[in-house]
Amino acid sequence: MSLSYPKRIFLTALVMLISLILIIAALWFPPVDREIEVMDSLFVIDITDSMNVEDARFGSETISRLNWAKEYTRQSILSMPCGSHAGLAIFSEARSLILMTPVEVCANYHDLMQMLSQFHPTMAWARSSEMSKALYTAIRQAKEITPPPTVVFLTDGHEAPPVHETLFPKFTDTPGEVPGVIVGIGGSDLVPIPKTNEFGEIEGYWEINEVMHKDVYASSRGDAAELNENQPRTEHLSSQKKSHMETVAKRVGFDFISSPGSPQNLIKAMREISEMRQQPVKYDLFVWLASIALILMILVFLPYNLFVKRHE
Amino acid sequence: MLPWLSRNTEKQIVWQALLPQDNFSLIIGVSLRLTAALVIASLIMAVAGPHIPEHTVQRSGQGAEVIILLDRSRSMDQPFARRHTFRLSTKMNFKESKRSVARYYLTEFVSSRPDDRFGYIFFSEQATGILPLTYSKETTLATIEAGGLGRGLTKTDISVALKKAGEMFEGEVYRGSRIVLLISDGGQILSSEQEQRISQLLRDNNLTLYWIYLRSVNGMTLEEMPGESVLWQGAPERQLHLFFKSLDVPYQAFEAGSLEEFAQAMENINQQHYQTLLLEQKMPRESLADYFLWVALLGLLLLTASQIYTWYGVSRAYRTPRH
Repeated sequence: MSLSYPKRIFLTALVMLISLILIIAALWFPPVDREIEVMDSLFVIDITDSMNVEDARFGSETISRLNWAKEYTRQSILSMPCGSHAGLAIFSEARSLILMTPVEVCANYHDLMQMLSQFHPTMAWARSSEMSKALYTAIRQAKEITPPPTVVFLTDGHEAPPVHETLFPKFTDTPGEVPGVIVGIGGSDLVPIPKTNEFGEIEGYWEINEVMHKDVYASSRGDAAELNENQPRTEHLSSQKKSHMETVAKRVGFDFISSPGSPQNLIKAMREISEMRQQPVKYDLFVWLASIALILMILVFLPYNLFVKRHE
Repeated sequence: MLPWLSRNTEKQIVWQALLPQDNFSLIIGVSLRLTAALVIASLIMAVAGPHIPEHTVQRSGQGAEVIILLDRSRSMDQPFARRHTFRLSTKMNFKESKRSVARYYLTEFVSSRPDDRFGYIFFSEQATGILPLTYSKETTLATIEAGGLGRGLTKTDISVALKKAGEMFEGEVYRGSRIVLLISDGGQILSSEQEQRISQLLRDNNLTLYWIYLRSVNGMTLEEMPGESVLWQGAPERQLHLFFKSLDVPYQAFEAGSLEEFAQAMENINQQHYQTLLLEQKMPRESLADYFLWVALLGLLLLTASQIYTWYGVSRAYRTPRH
């Protein structure tokens, strides 16, 4: 293909003119509004003693369940688009305690991480771990926040004292009213639970005779024969209680994911159940305009004579 | 590089030597190619998204560094005292629990002080500095709001809370007035060892202590009043008040017995602490792409103009009838 000399000059001038207009547009074109979908979330982290067990797999490392929960929370917050909100809460005893209501994740990332790093078993105000009741209180408190966040409950599902299947704490709210996900942490083998002292140092392990092995209420109500049945006593050991968490999740209308490998698993689950908010963001088109101008300029100066064989 | 390889707009001529040697044309040719190279380079730079990353600048403002110590104990769930009520109300108004009152006014206080840096310590039996000193109003307010949710925890231990506050300031550069704002409804008898530790921490870190004492329904005051109940004498709250007064750091107690008094206490602190404070302000990242675009624009303007002129000349040359 060969163009006559005047045509080539004309084409070059035309393309340059177009590039010029594009650059002017890149400089002065106002940012356009674009909508992104964001959500509000509340991360509730279990800080009871069983979370000190080191059996959570993170990549190739094995770390404590609590550190896994913190790291997973951090990565999840990082994976959220700017404009999303995240709050932090802890759970110990039989209730969740919200420490920060949801704040915007990008501007407040530093503060969120500062607070997250403070989460430690010493913050616990009592030594029991009644996971299902704590979940209920988290849901109840989430309802008081406007707009209600999606609850992410990170726990190993350990109930201490244990609950009897028929004497389960009642959930009085509507299941599914507050959306949420339970994230199960920990390995599947029963392992001893480290015991912490008041300074948070690990001091030995919970012994078989130091914990309750039967539901307190069951002992006064149920069949004495059933109660006195010879069963293995394992409540001083802990593993990820998947089936229990699934039951609880069903009861309150939550999703359950067990030891997710990447924060995307959680984000995806949250996107499906959360009410997404539309957040307008200003988006500057200059990159696109400048890129087109650049491509045109390269086309103008591309050495065609090196590619095209001239027929002399 | 490209402009030097390109021969797109060159004309094949019969014999090179026929062309007159023209230095001026040579200079123009080189400078146009230089301009073209510059335009392409600037466009590449602009598209690459150059920016000055988010950075902090120091400026001085009017304000203080405030650490809020909020009592999260169970007693804070009880109704806030109303003045001139001589009988206990049978209706428990939980909307006006001491904690929700404290939350409401703290929110007002934080919002009214734009330049302050806030920290937040949550305490009951243990104290955790859940929010280290921050400039972010959003996180401070969110933490205060969260403090009003749910119910209280166990008991109160003011000594661990004060220690924590001292520790929070310990590693910090001194920037200006430092306030510890203790909001509690209970007192405590401290051991002499605890007293010593607290007084040293407060003195070493140059702290000013404010105690907003939320009176309970029975309405006990911190100062002794004539004709009061004998039971109040030597109460833990009073002992703590005496200890605070004996410290050689600025201390002031505000006894909030009603919403108006609480608001007044907050207003007083608000008035007093406007000293110069060194502030760190985060500047958002700044894009430099516009500068490169400007260079590209000017260069391209020149190129386009010369190209249009060339086209004009060439087309005229082709149109003129040849003899």
